[in-house]
Amino acid sequence: MSADVLLRATDVSLEYLDGARRIRAVDRVSLEVRRGEFLGLVGPSGSGKSSLLFLLAGLRAPTAGHVELLGHVLPPQADASAALRRRHVGFLFQEPFLVPYLDVRENALGHATHPEAETRLEALAAAIGMETMLRERPHRLSGGERQRASLLRALASAPDLVLADEPTANLDQETGHAVMDVLRAQTQGAALIVVTHDPGMLEGADRVLFLRDGVLQQA
Amino acid sequence: MALQPAALSPWTYLLRNPRRIAPVFLIQVLVTALLVLIITPTNAFEATARANVKPLDGFTIVRPRVINGFDEELLRLLDANPQLRARVEAKMFWLRMPMIVGEGVAPMIALPQSFWAEFLDGVGSTLVDGEMPEPGSDGVVLHEAVVRAKGLKIGEAFGKLVDPQDMTPGRFTLVGVLGGEARIGLADHAYASEPLFVLARVPPFQVIYAKAGGKAASDAYLREARHEEAFGEGEKAFDVIDAAYMDERIAGMLANLPLIIGFITLSVGIVVALVISLLNVIAFQVRVDEFGLYLAVGHRRARLVRKLAVETAAVAIAAWLAGLALGIGGVALYRDLWLEPRGILLTVVDPRPLLFSLSVPVLSTLTGAIALGRRLHRMDPVAVIQRRGAG
Repeated sequence: MSADVLLRATDVSLEYLDGARRIRAVDRVSLEVRRGEFLGLVGPSGSGKSSLLFLLAGLRAPTAGHVELLGHVLPPQADASAALRRRHVGFLFQEPFLVPYLDVRENALGHATHPEAETRLEALAAAIGMETMLRERPHRLSGGERQRASLLRALASAPDLVLADEPTANLDQETGHAVMDVLRAQTQGAALIVVTHDPGMLEGADRVLFLRDGVLQQA
Repeated sequence: MALQPAALSPWTYLLRNPRRIAPVFLIQVLVTALLVLIITPTNAFEATARANVKPLDGFTIVRPRVINGFDEELLRLLDANPQLRARVEAKMFWLRMPMIVGEGVAPMIALPQSFWAEFLDGVGSTLVDGEMPEPGSDGVVLHEAVVRAKGLKIGEAFGKLVDPQDMTPGRFTLVGVLGGEARIGLADHAYASEPLFVLARVPPFQVIYAKAGGKAASDAYLREARHEEAFGEGEKAFDVIDAAYMDERIAGMLANLPLIIGFITLSVGIVVALVISLLNVIAFQVRVDEFGLYLAVGHRRARLVRKLAVETAAVAIAAWLAGLALGIGGVALYRDLWLEPRGILLTVVDPRPLLFSLSVPVLSTLTGAIALGRRLHRMDPVAVIQRRGAG
């Protein structure tokens, strides 16, 4: 793996049984993601976008092929790659997923492993207009603020790879674009993979991949 | 270097979610308090019985076994005791007193009047109300706790001749009340030996006083002497009623108590543990997203199970301590308001309920942590994320 390739998927497939029917959610996908790259992943509902993202994150074990993150082949058990994931991967989900009894700062730093995460958090919060909300609990925030709070959580550890699954799906256009702007700006040295239904959110992406029936196609 | 996130500390969850942990906490507090309230009063019999035989710390009683009275041979044997300071002929009566369940007995001793002062001085008793009995009269002085327990007033009579249900033979009249640690009653030996009276049939005893510092040796001599060959092989010439003998009797009566308490406590502990684990699982339902997130972002299951186990254990231990405090407070109130006025002693801080009730936090923690650990091991973070996304 060349030095600037962060993530490599080699012929990964994911199959599961839906009753008696065998579903192939991801079909022999191979891709490489380099440091600093912004990759968009689009496709219709049920095309396997999220499944591929979970495979790339090590949360699902591929039924065929393998995924390498920073040169390490991800093991089949998600628990076995937990430390690698926590140290190097930032997640942003469609739902903010904030712990309700923790404030924004605690939500962001609770998972952080970076020694300067706290300093970094202050700068990030200022950059996305959340500096006055760090001590707020999630129930006092609007939908957009909650998503920005989860952005702080995803980026506080300065991850090498950020995986975002429909991060703007529940936001209005303006807030969605604002979140994407921050995401792009704050992941300059890292790789960013964004799954979305809305190609408009992938403005400035280095590559946009199209997934149909689990098969990857260049857009 | 990884940060030490206080956010994930079990204490953060516990301190910020009092309403969620309240049901589990309260159930354990109440059950622990209930166990303390049930188990502690069972020491009342022992505490009262031991107080009633406390006078035997100061003297020893010898009772003939195979003959109704002391013959010359028996008395010679007693007098050969190298630690003997004094030997006084006496009669012994037992006064029935109601306990929490059933009845206990307190001793009343009939002594020659010339020996009363020395006797009372020896057991540390003093007259606190009324007067000492007139010579040859049926008057008695009883310890204040026994007077309260029997509901007697000065001037009132008791005994089998007054009440056929009374186990004390004859008839006695309360003329005075004794205070002090020893729960002893005192009657006149002359009255108790009156030949025309039923009390004459009560077997005589000998009260044995040892020399200063020689009671243990004196008692040892008496226990050895009762097996003298002169009185027939295997026959005991007399019984030695000392503190050790009474302790053994009391312990024998209470031998099955730990088994009963253990059974009750274990049954309660198991039921409570199951209820707690069920409540823990229900409470965990609202934390599925939280733990799904922890797993997704890279926290190991083992660490999360540890977090849940610490949370469960902390609630259980805090509830146990609060339950003990509540239970001990309740027991103290019960003793002050109900038992003491009836002359029943109770040890409020009893180690047994503390130990037995430990089964509640231990079993609750084990079953709670196992139930939550199983839930966590089966949890699929992807399913949690997708369910939220679909919502």
